[in-house]
Amino acid sequence: MSLKFGILGLLAETPLHGYEVKTRFESILGHTWEVNIGQVYSTLQRLERDNWVEAVGERGDRGKQAYQLTAQGRQALDHWLSEPEAEPQQLHDELFIKLMLMRRLANGNLEGLIARQRRVYLQHLRNLAELERHARAENRPDLLLLIKGAVIHTEADIKWLDVCLEELTSLQPYHPDSEHQEEKP
Amino acid sequence: MSHLTDQHGHSTYLIELSNVNKTYNGSTDQVALSDITLKIPAGQFTAIMGASGSGKSTLLNLIAGLDRPTKGEVWVDGIRVNALGEAALARYRRKRLGFVFQFFNLLNQLSVLDNILLPAQLAGLQSKVAHQRARQLLDQLGITDKARVYPGQLSGGQRQRVAIARALINQPSVLLADEPTGALDSRSGDAVMELLAQINEKGQTIVLVTHDARLAAAYATRIISLRDGRIVDDSILQAPQHQAPSDLLHLHSEEAV
Repeated sequence: MSLKFGILGLLAETPLHGYEVKTRFESILGHTWEVNIGQVYSTLQRLERDNWVEAVGERGDRGKQAYQLTAQGRQALDHWLSEPEAEPQQLHDELFIKLMLMRRLANGNLEGLIARQRRVYLQHLRNLAELERHARAENRPDLLLLIKGAVIHTEADIKWLDVCLEELTSLQPYHPDSEHQEEKP
Repeated sequence: MSHLTDQHGHSTYLIELSNVNKTYNGSTDQVALSDITLKIPAGQFTAIMGASGSGKSTLLNLIAGLDRPTKGEVWVDGIRVNALGEAALARYRRKRLGFVFQFFNLLNQLSVLDNILLPAQLAGLQSKVAHQRARQLLDQLGITDKARVYPGQLSGGQRQRVAIARALINQPSVLLADEPTGALDSRSGDAVMELLAQINEKGQTIVLVTHDARLAAAYATRIISLRDGRIVDDSILQAPQHQAPSDLLHLHSEEAV
């Protein structure tokens, strides 16, 4: 979704060809993501088919084709920009499954697993702090916002670990018989 | 009790707690710390983390000689702190320790300079030496222009700088900081932690109590996590290497191609 609307947004400023879209979009993302050029071209084709963008001018060097936004594309972009994001929160499924399985297999002793995970997050915070210093020194507000977001998410991950530990250790030890009653024939 | 010593009979660690227990007597005994063994070498910047009630303040108080262990030993700078009498404890705190608190604890009727000089006077330091050190600290902490100002006229971040200067005037073996950023906004908090990290880089041993994981991870080098009076993790963090943003951040897009 974001690539599609990223392309629309960039074309709303000025007509661009595929490679320019790629480099400008990567710059907006603070170079945190390498955009696949093939994906840019295929998305442009779909957008052209849906009449949200149209080719402009002749094909240039090496067959480069510039595109511009149509009125319909502009409307779609404006609608998307005005809509709040309502996707469900993404959580760490692998860690969650580890915790649930450890609860069954390690007789409720989750402190080791959680301590090791907390270490990873703490080191992550340290690395992000260093990245933040560089982003400030290089006057990169775009990157700074992404880093701040990553820091806040990591802080929340640490809090979540604490909550997991509190909740799971206050429960009765896990007994296979106490759950899955509904599975029995 | 095994107490690690070098060939001169000195501890190889600046701070060493062995099998420390702390129980508060009430109608039912409240266990504040249970079986804490902890060794901190000189020059380390250690953060103690934990929820309220985890025992982190009790641990700091034992190192500070403000509280005594129910069992076990506390050694700091070659001194068996748990065995000291009240007068010796007061001397120990004055000469070997510097304190930084959440709410600064400055004396409002004294100027910044006089606040910083006070511990030196109490320790009987020669006035000329004390003034020299105070000037140096004011300069190091970026508050030279505030020397004649009273604490009431300063911002929180500036007050905490004064408190740090006061804590360092007697050149303590250990700087103990109890939630030093707790009363500060995020920007001043970072500035204060940055100063502590700079002071640590010059060799000052620091023990910090905080509940702020971000600040602990960004500035301290070792993080000890307490839970229910026990150490549940003790991590030495690695120096951050400058990484490309894409190594640390991912903006994932569920692209429908």
